[in-house]
Amino acid sequence: MALQKVLLENLTLPQHANSYIDALHAILTHQGWITCSKSMLAGMTATAFRFTVDCRLTAESTSAYNWIAENFLAADFIGVTASSAAGFHFEPTFPLYLKQALSDIRKSLDRGIGCAIWQDRFVVVAGYDEDQQVLYISDGQAEGYRTLPYAQFGKGDSPYWYYQFLEGHIVLDEIAVYQESLVQAIFKWETHELMLPEAEYACGEAAYDAMIEAFRTGNYDPLGVREVIPYYATAKKDIATYVAALERYWPELRDASEKYRDVAQQWEKAARLFTTIETVDNLAPINTIIDLFEAAKVLEEEAVLSLKRLMRETINNRFHDIGLR
Amino acid sequence: MSNAFLHNICLQRESKSYIDSLYAILTAAGLFQGPKYMLSGLTGMAFKMSVHEHLLPLSVSAYGQWGNEHEPAITNLGLLSETDAGRTRHPTFRWYQEQAVIAVKQSLDRGVGAIYWIPEFGVIQGYDDADQVFFVQDGWNAESQVVLYDNFGLNFTPFWYYETFGDRVAIALQDMVLESLRLAIQDWHTPYKTLPNTDIASGKLAYTFLREGLHGGAYDAGGAVYILDAYAVSRTEIRDYLRDVQGMWPELLGALNCYEEIVKMLPNMMCCMQENQGVRQIDSDRIAELVTELGVAEVLEDQAIRLFQVISEQYPDRKRTTLPRWGAHSPR
Repeated sequence: MALQKVLLENLTLPQHANSYIDALHAILTHQGWITCSKSMLAGMTATAFRFTVDCRLTAESTSAYNWIAENFLAADFIGVTASSAAGFHFEPTFPLYLKQALSDIRKSLDRGIGCAIWQDRFVVVAGYDEDQQVLYISDGQAEGYRTLPYAQFGKGDSPYWYYQFLEGHIVLDEIAVYQESLVQAIFKWETHELMLPEAEYACGEAAYDAMIEAFRTGNYDPLGVREVIPYYATAKKDIATYVAALERYWPELRDASEKYRDVAQQWEKAARLFTTIETVDNLAPINTIIDLFEAAKVLEEEAVLSLKRLMRETINNRFHDIGLR
Repeated sequence: MSNAFLHNICLQRESKSYIDSLYAILTAAGLFQGPKYMLSGLTGMAFKMSVHEHLLPLSVSAYGQWGNEHEPAITNLGLLSETDAGRTRHPTFRWYQEQAVIAVKQSLDRGVGAIYWIPEFGVIQGYDDADQVFFVQDGWNAESQVVLYDNFGLNFTPFWYYETFGDRVAIALQDMVLESLRLAIQDWHTPYKTLPNTDIASGKLAYTFLREGLHGGAYDAGGAVYILDAYAVSRTEIRDYLRDVQGMWPELLGALNCYEEIVKMLPNMMCCMQENQGVRQIDSDRIAELVTELGVAEVLEDQAIRLFQVISEQYPDRKRTTLPRWGAHSPR
């Protein structure tokens, strides 16, 4: 029987959290299915290795990927089973899916498991109230929970609705999880996300070139870049932490680990430059920024080459499509 | 111990196996009225054409990542669908298999069958908990086949797939037709639907693969026959569909004429296949003729698609001018 009101205590997104992996980490930790840090989770799920930019470096860069496929994979890589759905809220079938979404979300909360949804950003649903007809949301912006009326689900400024609920947990071989994540890291570095038009978006190694080009020409979104750079600076830091932790299992990872640590430092410097620049016009250190990203690109390339040497057997077994398990 | 058996489901192999299955399920559940060609047309499925470079039999159902291809088709009918699929070798398959078994049973309890990859697509029309089995109509055998819950999804291909259906909202016929034309345009201009693989072509490029495959001679004999049979069926479906809806826009009459021409060529193309000791094969002496006719058909179809574009451009298309966050590829 459905309950009237549920609020999962202690399920909140940390302040400034803004990615799917933040939401996943909060839900899994609350559920007690993981005890690892967010950096480790970001590594194991390979989400930290996603690096995609829109050529103008708009804020949307950080969420421009196939949520259905990639967020499913993030869960699947660590043995968490999940269901999800997504669409445009302007589709005629949206009312049917809205009803389904609310039913699925409430059922998940009844089982004590939070849900990740898209409400102009990835947020966590921690509860609902049938009388009030609202969901309780933790969005990493406001403290505590805010309410989202049922009827407003999926109807944000962006045209997308999305939800994912987690269902079960299968214990996988830890080493196999780490190994797969490193293969996926190489895949992400080398592969363009098929969903994105190549003229407007760049992924992996090509994303560095797109960024450098944008800074050279000055053709970029000055507000967007202030979200994009800190976002990926966090991701690179997660990678560095993650790969360093894996040295325990593969001492040969030392080289890649050091390179990723240096990559993360370059990004951190860039992020700091952007947060200290007060106005849009005051972009004096643009050459410094270009230098930082050029250096970061070389370092990350070397790190990936190092991973490739380590993972060569798996890669060779997968022939032309190394991402395909 | 519960069970269910939907006696009114009748799967007839005529069209693409997905459409045959969908038609059987929806008509039995009262969710679709009308002839099969209308269903094939409105969903855009009739327009899908894919050809493997060696003309393998899998060509006919390899028109893309199924989830991504079927979703817009079902959405255009105004239906809610619930689907799950993947590769059976993945470690989480066993868990998803259990959930799928539950979902399919629930759907059957509601009186709605489920689409199931056998292969090809077929319909689950019943279950019996006492024996832990599903009853699957494959369209080849009069009797339904038994699939153990434990074997759900397992088959000689690496894929498993099922789909069930929920409620339906009414969409104006003209809107559905417009969207079906857009699906046709999109398919025609998408050369590869299963990237990074480039051994299967879609739409316009599929014609090239078909002609070159036949011309090169090193093709799969059974596959070639199957592709041409499926081609004949789908082009006839398109012609019948356009006959029914041509009054909506003047350009549709021109497009209909193109498909009328193509359908007129079909009997001769079919004659290029001969029965030899019970097995139909392409007559090697007539390959050049067949290739020429396919070339003519491609030009006609290209003209029709251009007319579809003229119609499409008269209306805004938010669905295709907004970058999605799904589709294009499925989980690896």
